[in-house]
Amino acid sequence: MLITTTNVVDGRPVQEYLGVINAQSIIGANIFKDIFAGLRDVFGGRSKTYEKVLEQAKEDALRELAEKAQALGANGILGVDLDFETIGSGGSMLMVIATGTAVRL
Amino acid sequence: MKSYFGSYFISPGAEPVESSVLVFDKKMSIGFRNPDGSNGIVHWPLTEVVVSYELSTQRTKVRHTGLGTELYMEGKEAAAFIKEMQDDLQRPWHKKNNSKDWGRNLLLLSGFLGGLVLLYFLIVPWLAEKMASTVSVKTERQLGDAVYDAMGLSAAEDTAASFLLNEFFATMEVPSAYSVRITVVNDNVVNAFAVPGGRIVVYSALLKQIQSYPELAALLSHEFTHVNSKHSTKSIFRRLGSKVFIGLLFGSFGSVTSVLIDHADDLKSLTYSRKLEKEADIKGLEILLQRKIDPKGFEDLFHHLKEASPASALPEFLGSHPDIEKRISYIKESSKNATIVVDQRLQSIFEKIKQ
Repeated sequence: MLITTTNVVDGRPVQEYLGVINAQSIIGANIFKDIFAGLRDVFGGRSKTYEKVLEQAKEDALRELAEKAQALGANGILGVDLDFETIGSGGSMLMVIATGTAVRL
Repeated sequence: MKSYFGSYFISPGAEPVESSVLVFDKKMSIGFRNPDGSNGIVHWPLTEVVVSYELSTQRTKVRHTGLGTELYMEGKEAAAFIKEMQDDLQRPWHKKNNSKDWGRNLLLLSGFLGGLVLLYFLIVPWLAEKMASTVSVKTERQLGDAVYDAMGLSAAEDTAASFLLNEFFATMEVPSAYSVRITVVNDNVVNAFAVPGGRIVVYSALLKQIQSYPELAALLSHEFTHVNSKHSTKSIFRRLGSKVFIGLLFGSFGSVTSVLIDHADDLKSLTYSRKLEKEADIKGLEILLQRKIDPKGFEDLFHHLKEASPASALPEFLGSHPDIEKRISYIKESSKNATIVVDQRLQSIFEKIKQ
């Protein structure tokens, strides 16, 4: 399975387009992470706690996207786009939406 | 998750087909096209596969132990990753890669909860009492007057009895920063209470029950201690403090939860209320002992209160006051070897009150 943000893959022409697919992942940065992230907000510096949560949400969305592509018989996803949103009261949760085109290369 | 391209043998001995492979933490999925052109997908649990790296062809070989089917992927990266996932599966949960996170989260959780408990039970009440003790006598008096006015009791005041009770208390000569004002209110409730700032309200029904001047002295010195030790003000601040704390913590909780939390908080404040009542009993008793007034006044007062309030049949933890029997016993305990001298002035005022 090839997952790429580009529209074409060098040397591997698309044989078949299998449709647009998308996957979402919504994840909460638990209360402790919120507290530590809040401290970062006060003292500055990188908030590794939120970065980890974001990374996890992105992984989950891409995994779901790959599963959907595989179910369609695809061996590649082109033009993958990742959107990040905060949702929930006070923006305490993160949503990642992954979109792409399932193809057979 | 990682993804690879592979050659999949649908059955042992068959021609390989091109496939896309996804490796997860517990399973791997192989997507392929069947000879008839339809899509096929198989899921292999990682516990049911054997993975190896073939040096000669530089390929990763995965074999399903049950089906005997095989999958080949280019390079050795896939072999390393699948082995890593397999090893992780076999590890007990506390040795897994993310177990450090678990341990740390658990530690943080207990630390956080411990901190909350400390805040709620010690720091918030302590702060509230500190704040209460900075409230000036004048402010307390204004607060108390506002409370008294809001209760609308002045219409039922027995001014003659109030005058005599004030005279009685003045004769006891109890020093205080507060100017104590006692009001007798005509009502059939057997009770008395103190509001902040020095006002004490005694209901006529309780006054009728009182049979001796030490008993009246006990009642007034108990209520006076509430005033003098700022008990009402402290209670107000403590209640306010814990309400604000709970509000901040559980602000957006549903109604059922907030009712539960409110009631738990009420029970806690009752504990504090009982502590204050005991303090008022003990300090009130000291006032009596210093003036050589018979401490039995307290016991008589408690007996009369008990007769009047069947509510004291409630278990102690639900009551705002300590159990009557307990009150009697600690009063008896603290008043051993008391010297008693009859005070003629108090006696004569008491007789006037009873007329």
